[in-house]
Amino acid sequence: MNDILNKSLNLIDEILNGEDAKSDKFYDKLALKISSIFNNQSFLIYFLQDIETVLKSGCKNGKLIKNYKANDTFLSCLYDNKTKIFETKSDKILSDFTLVGRLAIKNSIFGYCILSFDKMPSEDEITAFVSLCSTVSYKIKDYELNGVFKIQLKAMQDAFIEKENALLTVKKQHKKLLEIDKTKNLFLANISHELRTPLNAIIGFSQALSSKIFGPLNEKQNEYIKDIQISSLHLLGMINEILDISKIEANAIKFNPSEISPKQAIEEVANIVEPLLKDKKINLDFKSDFDGLIYADYQKFQQILYNLISNAIKFSNEKGEIEITSAQNANNYILTIKDYGIGIDKKHHNKIFKKFVHLEDNFKNGIKNQSSTGLGLAITKELVKLHKGKINLKSEIGKGTSFEIIFKGAVL
Amino acid sequence: MKKILIVEDNDMNMKLFYDVLSYNNYNVVKAFDGLDAFEKIEHDNFDLIILDMLLPKMDGFSLIKKLKDENIKYPKIIVVSACAMDADKQKALALGIENYLTKPIDINNFLKVVKENLS
Repeated sequence: MNDILNKSLNLIDEILNGEDAKSDKFYDKLALKISSIFNNQSFLIYFLQDIETVLKSGCKNGKLIKNYKANDTFLSCLYDNKTKIFETKSDKILSDFTLVGRLAIKNSIFGYCILSFDKMPSEDEITAFVSLCSTVSYKIKDYELNGVFKIQLKAMQDAFIEKENALLTVKKQHKKLLEIDKTKNLFLANISHELRTPLNAIIGFSQALSSKIFGPLNEKQNEYIKDIQISSLHLLGMINEILDISKIEANAIKFNPSEISPKQAIEEVANIVEPLLKDKKINLDFKSDFDGLIYADYQKFQQILYNLISNAIKFSNEKGEIEITSAQNANNYILTIKDYGIGIDKKHHNKIFKKFVHLEDNFKNGIKNQSSTGLGLAITKELVKLHKGKINLKSEIGKGTSFEIIFKGAVL
Repeated sequence: MKKILIVEDNDMNMKLFYDVLSYNNYNVVKAFDGLDAFEKIEHDNFDLIILDMLLPKMDGFSLIKKLKDENIKYPKIIVVSACAMDADKQKALALGIENYLTKPIDINNFLKVVKENLS
Protein backbone atom coordinates (compact mmCIF):
# COMPACT_ATOMS: atom_id res chain seq x y z
CA MET A 1 0.00 0.00 0.00
CA ASN A 2 3.00 2.18 0.37
CA ASP A 3 3.04 2.20 -3.39
CA ILE A 4 0.36 4.90 -3.71
CA LEU A 5 2.19 7.20 -1.32
CA ASN A 6 5.41 6.87 -3.30
CA LYS A 7 3.58 7.47 -6.53
CA SER A 8 1.82 10.52 -5.13
CA LEU A 9 5.09 11.92 -3.77
CA ASN A 10 6.68 11.53 -7.18
CA LEU A 11 3.69 13.17 -8.80
CA ILE A 12 3.78 16.05 -6.30
CA ASP A 13 7.42 16.56 -7.19
CA GLU A 14 6.59 16.47 -10.88
CA ILE A 15 3.75 18.96 -10.49
CA LEU A 16 5.83 21.36 -8.40
CA ASN A 17 8.73 21.31 -10.82
CA GLY A 18 6.63 21.05 -13.95
CA GLU A 19 5.01 23.59 -16.17
CA ASP A 20 2.94 26.43 -14.82
CA ALA A 21 -0.82 26.15 -14.41
CA LYS A 22 -1.47 28.52 -17.25
CA SER A 23 -3.33 26.54 -19.91
CA ASP A 24 -6.09 23.98 -20.26
CA LYS A 25 -3.37 21.48 -21.23
CA PHE A 26 -1.98 21.67 -17.72
CA TYR A 27 -5.33 20.65 -16.24
CA ASP A 28 -5.82 17.88 -18.78
CA LYS A 29 -2.37 16.40 -18.03
CA LEU A 30 -3.02 16.81 -14.33
CA ALA A 31 -6.34 14.96 -14.54
CA LEU A 32 -4.76 12.08 -16.49
CA LYS A 33 -1.80 11.75 -14.15
CA ILE A 34 -3.81 11.86 -10.92
CA SER A 35 -6.28 9.41 -12.33
CA SER A 36 -3.51 7.10 -13.47
CA ILE A 37 -1.83 6.70 -10.09
CA PHE A 38 -5.25 5.82 -8.66
CA ASN A 39 -5.75 2.96 -11.19
CA ASN A 40 -7.55 5.15 -13.72
CA GLN A 41 -10.37 6.07 -11.39
CA SER A 42 -12.62 8.91 -12.49
CA PHE A 43 -11.23 12.31 -11.60
CA LEU A 44 -12.73 15.77 -11.97
CA ILE A 45 -11.43 19.21 -11.24
CA TYR A 46 -13.81 22.13 -10.78
CA PHE A 47 -13.29 25.80 -10.37
CA LEU A 48 -15.58 28.14 -8.52
CA GLN A 49 -16.16 31.18 -10.62
CA ASP A 50 -18.45 33.73 -9.06
CA ILE A 51 -21.47 31.62 -8.17
CA GLU A 52 -20.97 29.08 -10.96
CA THR A 53 -18.97 25.88 -10.80
CA VAL A 54 -16.96 25.21 -13.93
CA LEU A 55 -15.45 21.89 -14.88
CA LYS A 56 -11.82 22.56 -15.72
CA SER A 57 -10.95 19.02 -16.72
CA GLY A 58 -11.77 15.42 -15.95
CA CYS A 59 -11.18 11.83 -17.00
CA LYS A 60 -12.73 8.42 -16.84
CA ASN A 61 -11.12 5.07 -17.68
CA GLY A 62 -7.85 6.86 -18.52
CA LYS A 63 -9.44 9.14 -21.09
CA LEU A 64 -10.28 12.84 -20.95
CA ILE A 65 -13.93 13.76 -20.77
CA LYS A 66 -14.49 16.04 -23.70
CA ASN A 67 -17.29 18.32 -24.76
CA TYR A 68 -18.74 18.79 -21.36
CA LYS A 69 -21.10 21.66 -20.75
CA ALA A 70 -21.36 23.79 -17.68
CA ASN A 71 -24.80 22.48 -16.75
CA ASP A 72 -24.14 18.94 -17.83
CA THR A 73 -21.86 18.17 -14.95
CA PHE A 74 -21.25 14.79 -13.56
CA LEU A 75 -22.19 15.12 -9.96
CA SER A 76 -25.68 14.79 -8.81
CA CYS A 77 -25.15 16.98 -5.85
CA LEU A 78 -22.20 18.46 -3.99
CA TYR A 79 -22.22 19.99 -0.57
CA ASP A 80 -19.40 21.72 1.15
CA ASN A 81 -19.87 22.22 4.84
CA LYS A 82 -23.62 21.99 4.38
CA THR A 83 -23.57 24.57 1.61
CA LYS A 84 -24.88 23.17 -1.61
CA ILE A 85 -22.24 23.77 -4.26
CA PHE A 86 -24.20 22.41 -7.18
CA GLU A 87 -26.39 19.56 -8.33
CA THR A 88 -26.97 17.86 -11.61
CA LYS A 89 -29.20 15.24 -13.10
CA SER A 90 -26.71 12.96 -14.74
CA ASP A 91 -24.74 10.65 -12.58
CA LYS A 92 -22.66 8.49 -14.81
CA ILE A 93 -19.14 8.95 -13.65
CA LEU A 94 -18.88 8.90 -9.92
CA SER A 95 -19.39 5.96 -7.63
CA ASP A 96 -20.55 5.83 -4.04
CA PHE A 97 -16.96 6.05 -2.84
CA THR A 98 -16.05 9.52 -3.86
CA LEU A 99 -13.45 11.79 -2.28
CA VAL A 100 -13.91 15.54 -2.60
CA GLY A 101 -10.87 17.71 -1.93
CA ARG A 102 -10.91 21.46 -1.66
CA LEU A 103 -8.67 23.60 -3.80
CA ALA A 104 -7.87 26.33 -1.34
CA ILE A 105 -5.16 28.57 -0.03
CA LYS A 106 -5.67 29.47 3.60
CA ASN A 107 -9.45 29.58 3.93
CA SER A 108 -10.22 30.82 0.49
CA ILE A 109 -11.75 28.01 -1.58
CA PHE A 110 -11.46 28.36 -5.34
CA GLY A 111 -12.29 24.85 -6.58
CA TYR A 112 -12.69 21.14 -5.94
CA CYS A 113 -10.98 17.93 -6.96
CA ILE A 114 -13.17 14.87 -7.06
CA LEU A 115 -11.89 11.31 -7.18
CA SER A 116 -14.22 8.36 -7.43
CA PHE A 117 -13.28 4.88 -6.22
CA ASP A 118 -14.93 1.61 -7.05
CA LYS A 119 -14.41 0.53 -3.44
CA MET A 120 -13.74 2.20 -0.11
CA PRO A 121 -10.38 4.09 -0.47
CA SER A 122 -7.57 3.18 1.85
CA GLU A 123 -6.09 5.60 4.35
CA ASP A 124 -2.97 5.90 2.19
CA GLU A 125 -5.09 6.71 -0.81
CA ILE A 126 -6.93 9.40 1.13
CA THR A 127 -3.63 10.84 2.39
CA ALA A 128 -2.18 10.80 -1.11
CA PHE A 129 -5.28 12.53 -2.51
CA VAL A 130 -5.31 15.23 0.17
CA SER A 131 -1.61 15.92 -0.44
CA LEU A 132 -2.21 16.13 -4.14
CA CYS A 133 -5.09 18.58 -3.65
CA SER A 134 -2.84 20.84 -1.56
CA THR A 135 -0.12 20.64 -4.19
CA VAL A 136 -2.51 21.46 -7.00
CA SER A 137 -3.92 24.37 -4.98
CA TYR A 138 -0.45 25.69 -4.41
CA LYS A 139 0.54 25.20 -8.05
CA ILE A 140 -2.51 27.06 -9.35
CA LYS A 141 -2.17 29.98 -6.94
CA ASP A 142 1.57 30.07 -7.54
CA TYR A 143 0.91 30.63 -11.19
CA GLU A 144 -1.87 33.13 -10.57
CA LEU A 145 0.30 35.15 -8.26
CA ASN A 146 3.86 34.47 -9.34
CA GLY A 147 2.95 33.87 -12.95
CA VAL A 148 1.22 37.19 -13.22
CA PHE A 149 4.05 38.75 -11.28
CA LYS A 150 6.59 37.07 -13.58
CA ILE A 151 4.72 38.30 -16.65
CA GLN A 152 4.67 41.80 -15.24
CA LEU A 153 8.32 41.54 -14.29
CA LYS A 154 9.19 40.28 -17.76
CA ALA A 155 7.19 43.09 -19.35
CA MET A 156 8.99 45.58 -17.12
CA GLN A 157 12.35 44.05 -17.95
CA ASP A 158 11.51 44.12 -21.65
CA ALA A 159 10.39 47.74 -21.41
CA PHE A 160 13.53 48.57 -19.49
CA ILE A 161 15.78 46.85 -22.03
CA GLU A 162 13.90 48.54 -24.84
CA LYS A 163 14.34 51.90 -23.14
CA GLU A 164 18.03 51.22 -22.54
CA ASN A 165 18.48 50.22 -26.16
CA ALA A 166 16.65 53.32 -27.37
CA LEU A 167 18.80 55.44 -25.08
CA LEU A 168 21.93 53.74 -26.37
CA THR A 169 20.86 54.34 -29.95
CA VAL A 170 20.13 57.99 -29.20
CA LYS A 171 23.49 58.33 -27.43
CA LYS A 172 25.28 56.74 -30.38
CA GLN A 173 23.47 59.01 -32.83
CA HIS A 174 24.21 62.02 -30.64
CA LYS A 175 27.91 61.14 -30.54
CA LYS A 176 27.96 60.62 -34.28
CA LEU A 177 26.21 63.94 -34.86
CA LEU A 178 28.67 65.70 -32.56
CA GLU A 179 31.54 64.19 -34.51
CA ILE A 180 29.99 65.22 -37.82
CA ASP A 181 29.42 68.71 -36.43
CA LYS A 182 33.01 68.93 -35.24
CA THR A 183 34.27 67.76 -38.62
CA LYS A 184 32.01 70.28 -40.32
CA ASN A 185 33.29 73.17 -38.21
CA LEU A 186 36.89 72.11 -38.76
CA PHE A 187 36.20 71.85 -42.47
CA LEU A 188 34.63 75.32 -42.53
CA ALA A 189 37.55 76.84 -40.62
CA ASN A 190 40.01 75.11 -42.97
CA ILE A 191 38.12 76.22 -46.08
CA SER A 192 38.19 79.77 -44.81
CA HIS A 193 41.94 79.47 -44.24
CA GLU A 194 42.72 77.83 -47.58
CA LEU A 195 40.72 80.41 -49.53
CA ARG A 196 42.51 83.32 -47.89
CA THR A 197 45.90 82.49 -49.35
CA PRO A 198 44.97 82.85 -53.07
CA LEU A 199 42.60 85.70 -52.24
CA ASN A 200 45.53 87.58 -50.67
CA ALA A 201 47.34 87.44 -54.02
CA ILE A 202 44.23 88.45 -56.02
CA ILE A 203 43.38 91.41 -53.80
CA GLY A 204 47.03 92.38 -53.37
CA PHE A 205 47.93 92.38 -57.07
CA SER A 206 44.78 94.26 -58.08
CA GLN A 207 45.47 96.81 -55.35
CA ALA A 208 49.05 97.17 -56.58
CA LEU A 209 47.73 97.76 -60.11
CA SER A 210 45.02 100.24 -59.09
CA SER A 211 47.51 102.27 -57.04
CA LYS A 212 49.36 102.67 -60.37
CA ILE A 213 52.73 102.09 -58.75
CA PHE A 214 53.82 100.13 -61.81
CA GLY A 215 52.50 102.62 -64.33
CA PRO A 216 49.23 104.17 -65.50
CA LEU A 217 46.16 102.17 -66.57
CA ASN A 218 43.68 102.99 -69.30
CA GLU A 219 39.97 103.50 -68.55
CA LYS A 220 38.90 99.93 -69.30
CA GLN A 221 41.79 98.47 -67.25
CA ASN A 222 40.80 100.72 -64.34
CA GLU A 223 37.19 99.56 -64.59
CA TYR A 224 38.19 95.88 -64.65
CA ILE A 225 40.54 96.25 -61.70
CA LYS A 226 37.67 97.81 -59.73
CA ASP A 227 35.44 94.87 -60.74
CA ILE A 228 38.08 92.38 -59.55
CA GLN A 229 38.29 94.24 -56.24
CA ILE A 230 34.51 94.33 -55.73
CA SER A 231 34.22 90.62 -56.53
CA SER A 232 37.16 89.80 -54.27
CA LEU A 233 35.59 91.71 -51.38
CA HIS A 234 32.30 89.93 -52.03
CA LEU A 235 34.18 86.60 -51.86
CA LEU A 236 36.03 87.68 -48.73
CA GLY A 237 32.71 88.63 -47.12
CA MET A 238 31.42 85.12 -47.72
CA ILE A 239 34.63 83.51 -46.43
CA ASN A 240 34.34 85.61 -43.28
CA GLU A 241 30.71 84.58 -42.82
CA ILE A 242 31.70 80.91 -43.09
CA LEU A 243 34.44 81.43 -40.52
CA ASP A 244 32.05 83.34 -38.24
CA ILE A 245 29.42 80.63 -38.28
CA SER A 246 32.02 77.93 -37.62
CA LYS A 247 33.36 80.01 -34.71
CA ILE A 248 29.85 80.52 -33.34
CA GLU A 249 29.04 76.82 -33.63
CA ALA A 250 32.30 75.79 -32.01
CA ASN A 251 31.65 78.35 -29.22
CA ALA A 252 34.99 79.91 -30.17
CA ILE A 253 33.70 83.43 -30.66
CA LYS A 254 35.18 86.03 -28.34
CA PHE A 255 32.93 88.69 -26.84
CA ASN A 256 34.93 91.81 -25.96
CA PRO A 257 32.53 94.47 -24.69
CA SER A 258 33.61 97.95 -23.73
CA GLU A 259 32.13 101.45 -23.53
CA ILE A 260 31.38 102.38 -27.11
CA SER A 261 29.72 105.24 -28.94
CA PRO A 262 26.95 103.86 -31.20
CA LYS A 263 26.96 107.16 -33.11
CA GLN A 264 30.61 106.76 -34.05
CA ALA A 265 30.14 103.07 -34.94
CA ILE A 266 27.14 103.84 -37.15
CA GLU A 267 28.91 106.70 -38.94
CA GLU A 268 31.89 104.46 -39.67
CA VAL A 269 29.67 101.70 -41.11
CA ALA A 270 27.77 104.32 -43.15
CA ASN A 271 31.10 105.27 -44.73
CA ILE A 272 31.94 101.66 -45.52
CA VAL A 273 28.60 101.07 -47.29
CA GLU A 274 28.78 104.37 -49.18
CA PRO A 275 29.85 102.73 -52.51
CA LEU A 276 26.96 100.21 -52.26
CA LEU A 277 24.48 103.05 -51.62
CA LYS A 278 25.83 105.08 -54.52
CA ASP A 279 25.60 102.11 -56.83
CA LYS A 280 21.80 101.90 -56.31
CA LYS A 281 21.32 105.63 -55.66
CA ILE A 282 19.88 104.87 -52.23
CA ASN A 283 19.64 107.54 -49.56
CA LEU A 284 20.69 106.56 -46.04
CA ASP A 285 19.02 108.61 -43.34
CA PHE A 286 20.58 108.42 -39.87
CA LYS A 287 18.47 109.81 -37.03
CA SER A 288 20.29 109.80 -33.74
CA ASP A 289 18.25 110.60 -30.63
CA PHE A 290 21.00 109.10 -28.54
CA ASP A 291 24.44 110.56 -28.15
CA GLY A 292 25.71 108.62 -25.15
CA LEU A 293 27.74 105.48 -24.57
CA ILE A 294 26.63 101.88 -24.41
CA TYR A 295 28.31 98.68 -23.24
CA ALA A 296 28.87 96.53 -26.33
CA ASP A 297 31.50 94.82 -28.48
CA TYR A 298 32.49 97.52 -30.97
CA GLN A 299 33.53 95.23 -33.80
CA LYS A 300 30.44 93.01 -33.39
CA PHE A 301 28.11 95.99 -33.08
CA GLN A 302 29.46 97.19 -36.43
CA GLN A 303 29.11 93.73 -37.94
CA ILE A 304 25.43 93.56 -36.89
CA LEU A 305 24.85 96.97 -38.41
CA TYR A 306 26.78 96.19 -41.59
CA ASN A 307 24.86 92.92 -42.14
CA LEU A 308 21.48 94.63 -41.72
CA ILE A 309 22.33 97.69 -43.84
CA SER A 310 23.82 95.61 -46.66
CA ASN A 311 20.67 93.44 -46.60
CA ALA A 312 18.51 96.56 -46.67
CA ILE A 313 20.45 97.81 -49.70
CA LYS A 314 20.21 94.43 -51.39
CA PHE A 315 16.41 94.32 -51.02
CA SER A 316 15.73 97.99 -51.79
CA ASN A 317 14.80 99.26 -55.20
CA GLU A 318 16.91 101.88 -57.01
CA LYS A 319 16.62 105.38 -55.50
CA GLY A 320 15.19 103.85 -52.34
CA GLU A 321 15.40 105.05 -48.77
CA ILE A 322 16.96 103.41 -45.71
CA GLU A 323 16.47 104.80 -42.19
CA ILE A 324 18.65 104.12 -39.17
CA THR A 325 17.40 105.25 -35.79
CA SER A 326 19.39 105.18 -32.61
CA ALA A 327 17.40 105.63 -29.41
CA GLN A 328 17.21 104.97 -25.70
CA ASN A 329 14.30 103.45 -23.75
CA ALA A 330 14.92 103.35 -19.99
CA ASN A 331 18.38 101.74 -19.82
CA ASN A 332 17.87 99.82 -23.06
CA TYR A 333 19.53 100.93 -26.28
CA ILE A 334 17.40 100.47 -29.42
CA LEU A 335 18.78 100.38 -32.95
CA THR A 336 16.40 100.26 -35.92
CA ILE A 337 17.23 99.66 -39.59
CA LYS A 338 14.27 100.27 -41.87
CA ASP A 339 13.99 99.95 -45.63
CA TYR A 340 11.15 100.49 -48.11
CA GLY A 341 12.13 97.57 -50.32
CA ILE A 342 10.41 94.37 -51.40
CA GLY A 343 9.59 93.16 -47.88
CA ILE A 344 9.32 89.60 -46.54
CA ASP A 345 6.16 87.50 -46.61
CA LYS A 346 4.87 86.71 -43.12
CA LYS A 347 5.19 82.97 -43.76
CA HIS A 348 8.97 83.39 -44.05
CA HIS A 349 9.45 85.50 -40.91
CA ASN A 350 10.38 82.52 -38.76
CA LYS A 351 12.91 81.02 -41.09
CA ILE A 352 14.98 83.98 -42.27
CA PHE A 353 17.22 83.78 -39.18
CA LYS A 354 18.07 80.17 -39.96
CA LYS A 355 21.32 79.15 -41.63
CA PHE A 356 21.63 78.81 -45.41
CA VAL A 357 18.21 80.32 -46.10
CA HIS A 358 17.62 81.95 -49.47
CA LEU A 359 14.06 83.06 -50.15
CA GLU A 360 12.93 82.02 -53.61
CA ASP A 361 10.44 84.90 -53.59
CA ASN A 362 13.33 87.36 -53.89
CA PHE A 363 14.20 86.00 -57.28
CA LYS A 364 10.58 86.21 -58.40
CA ASN A 365 10.37 89.73 -57.08
CA GLY A 366 13.12 90.84 -59.42
CA ILE A 367 16.01 90.89 -56.98
CA LYS A 368 19.07 89.76 -58.89
CA ASN A 369 20.53 86.41 -57.92
CA GLN A 370 23.37 87.76 -55.83
CA SER A 371 25.47 84.95 -54.50
CA SER A 372 25.53 84.84 -50.73
CA THR A 373 26.12 82.24 -48.05
CA GLY A 374 22.67 82.66 -46.52
CA LEU A 375 24.42 83.04 -43.18
CA GLY A 376 24.21 86.80 -42.63
CA LEU A 377 21.05 86.92 -40.52
CA ALA A 378 21.94 83.72 -38.65
CA ILE A 379 25.25 85.34 -37.65
CA THR A 380 23.53 88.65 -36.85
CA LYS A 381 21.09 86.90 -34.52
CA GLU A 382 23.96 85.12 -32.73
CA LEU A 383 25.89 88.39 -32.36
CA VAL A 384 22.78 90.04 -30.88
CA LYS A 385 22.45 87.06 -28.55
CA LEU A 386 26.06 87.55 -27.38
CA HIS A 387 24.97 91.03 -26.27
CA LYS A 388 22.00 89.44 -24.44
CA GLY A 389 19.86 91.47 -26.84
CA LYS A 390 16.80 90.80 -28.93
CA ILE A 391 16.15 91.26 -32.62
CA ASN A 392 12.61 91.94 -33.87
CA LEU A 393 11.40 91.84 -37.45
CA LYS A 394 8.54 93.82 -38.95
CA SER A 395 7.97 93.34 -42.63
CA GLU A 396 5.25 93.40 -45.23
CA ILE A 397 5.45 92.38 -48.87
CA GLY A 398 5.91 95.45 -51.07
CA LYS A 399 6.20 97.88 -48.15
CA GLY A 400 9.60 97.14 -46.72
CA THR A 401 11.37 95.62 -43.77
CA SER A 402 12.38 96.91 -40.36
CA PHE A 403 14.77 95.24 -37.93
CA GLU A 404 14.73 96.48 -34.36
CA ILE A 405 17.54 95.43 -32.02
CA ILE A 406 17.14 95.92 -28.31
CA PHE A 407 20.38 95.95 -26.35
CA LYS A 408 18.94 95.30 -22.90
CA GLY A 409 20.45 97.34 -20.10
CA ALA A 410 23.29 98.49 -22.37
CA VAL A 411 22.96 102.22 -21.74
CA LEU A 412 25.63 103.46 -19.34
CA MET B 1 68.27 100.98 -47.32
CA LYS B 2 66.32 98.92 -44.78
CA LYS B 3 66.66 95.18 -45.14
CA ILE B 4 63.55 93.00 -44.84
CA LEU B 5 63.29 89.19 -44.76
CA ILE B 6 60.08 87.72 -46.19
CA VAL B 7 59.26 84.18 -45.06
CA GLU B 8 56.44 82.89 -47.25
CA ASP B 9 55.93 79.52 -48.96
CA ASN B 10 53.28 80.57 -51.46
CA ASP B 11 54.93 81.77 -54.71
CA MET B 12 52.19 84.24 -55.60
CA ASN B 13 52.14 85.88 -52.20
CA MET B 14 55.95 85.95 -52.10
CA LYS B 15 55.96 87.73 -55.45
CA LEU B 16 53.35 90.23 -54.25
CA PHE B 17 55.19 91.10 -51.02
CA TYR B 18 58.56 91.18 -52.82
CA ASP B 19 57.37 93.48 -55.62
CA VAL B 20 55.47 95.87 -53.38
CA LEU B 21 58.30 96.16 -50.83
CA SER B 22 61.03 96.44 -53.48
CA TYR B 23 59.07 99.16 -55.22
CA ASN B 24 58.93 101.01 -51.90
CA ASN B 25 62.73 101.00 -51.73
CA TYR B 26 63.35 98.19 -49.31
CA ASN B 27 66.12 95.65 -49.69
CA VAL B 28 64.15 92.38 -49.71
CA VAL B 29 65.46 88.87 -49.06
CA LYS B 30 63.28 85.76 -49.65
CA ALA B 31 62.99 82.62 -47.54
CA PHE B 32 60.53 79.88 -48.58
CA ASP B 33 60.57 77.72 -45.45
CA GLY B 34 61.32 77.93 -41.73
CA LEU B 35 64.78 76.35 -41.84
CA ASP B 36 65.88 78.58 -44.72
CA ALA B 37 64.64 81.59 -42.73
CA PHE B 38 66.51 80.45 -39.60
CA GLU B 39 69.81 80.17 -41.46
CA LYS B 40 69.38 83.58 -43.06
CA ILE B 41 68.54 85.26 -39.76
CA GLU B 42 71.55 83.54 -38.13
CA HIS B 43 74.02 84.78 -40.75
CA ASP B 44 72.59 88.11 -41.81
CA ASN B 45 71.25 91.26 -40.20
CA PHE B 46 67.67 92.29 -40.97
CA ASP B 47 65.67 95.34 -39.91
CA LEU B 48 62.34 93.50 -40.09
CA ILE B 49 60.86 90.05 -40.72
CA ILE B 50 57.56 89.41 -42.54
CA LEU B 51 56.54 85.94 -41.42
CA ASP B 52 53.89 83.48 -42.57
CA MET B 53 53.02 80.94 -39.88
CA LEU B 54 52.24 77.75 -41.80
CA LEU B 55 55.54 76.89 -43.41
CA PRO B 56 57.31 73.77 -44.67
CA LYS B 57 60.15 72.20 -42.66
CA MET B 58 59.64 74.47 -39.62
CA ASP B 59 56.55 76.54 -38.92
CA GLY B 60 56.58 80.15 -37.74
CA PHE B 61 55.98 79.26 -34.08
CA SER B 62 58.92 76.83 -34.02
CA LEU B 63 61.12 79.33 -35.84
CA ILE B 64 60.56 82.06 -33.22
CA LYS B 65 61.08 79.55 -30.38
CA LYS B 66 64.32 78.29 -31.93
CA LEU B 67 65.62 81.85 -32.33
CA LYS B 68 64.89 82.49 -28.66
CA ASP B 69 66.29 79.18 -27.44
CA GLU B 70 69.55 79.67 -29.29
CA ASN B 71 69.85 83.33 -28.28
CA ILE B 72 70.01 84.53 -31.84
CA LYS B 73 69.51 88.24 -32.33
CA TYR B 74 66.48 88.96 -34.53
CA PRO B 75 64.54 92.12 -35.44
CA LYS B 76 60.82 92.90 -35.07
CA ILE B 77 58.45 90.39 -36.65
CA ILE B 78 55.19 91.10 -38.50
CA VAL B 79 53.12 87.96 -38.92
CA VAL B 80 50.99 87.75 -42.08
CA SER B 81 48.86 84.62 -41.78
CA ALA B 82 45.76 83.09 -43.32
CA CYS B 83 44.74 81.78 -39.88
CA ALA B 84 41.87 84.04 -38.90
CA MET B 85 40.91 82.39 -35.61
CA ASP B 86 41.42 84.49 -32.46
CA ALA B 87 43.30 81.60 -30.85
CA ASP B 88 45.96 81.61 -33.60
CA LYS B 89 46.46 85.34 -33.20
CA GLN B 90 46.74 85.13 -29.39
CA LYS B 91 49.24 82.27 -29.67
CA ALA B 92 51.44 84.29 -32.03
CA LEU B 93 51.20 87.52 -30.00
CA ALA B 94 52.24 85.56 -26.91
CA LEU B 95 55.61 84.93 -28.65
CA GLY B 96 56.32 88.64 -28.67
CA ILE B 97 55.67 89.56 -32.29
CA GLU B 98 54.85 93.17 -33.21
CA ASN B 99 51.78 92.77 -35.45
CA TYR B 100 49.45 90.03 -36.64
CA LEU B 101 47.87 90.70 -40.03
CA THR B 102 45.26 88.34 -41.43
CA LYS B 103 45.27 87.48 -45.13
CA PRO B 104 43.96 88.93 -47.36
CA ILE B 105 45.81 92.07 -46.38
CA ASP B 106 45.20 95.63 -47.46
CA ILE B 107 48.43 96.67 -49.24
CA ASN B 108 48.29 100.27 -48.02
CA ASN B 109 47.75 99.18 -44.45
CA PHE B 110 50.55 96.61 -44.81
CA LEU B 111 53.00 99.27 -46.03
CA LYS B 112 51.94 101.55 -43.19
CA VAL B 113 52.62 98.83 -40.60
CA VAL B 114 56.01 98.05 -42.20
CA LYS B 115 56.98 101.70 -42.12
CA GLU B 116 55.91 102.10 -38.48
CA ASN B 117 58.01 99.14 -37.41
CA LEU B 118 61.09 100.48 -39.16
CA SER B 119 61.00 103.98 -37.76
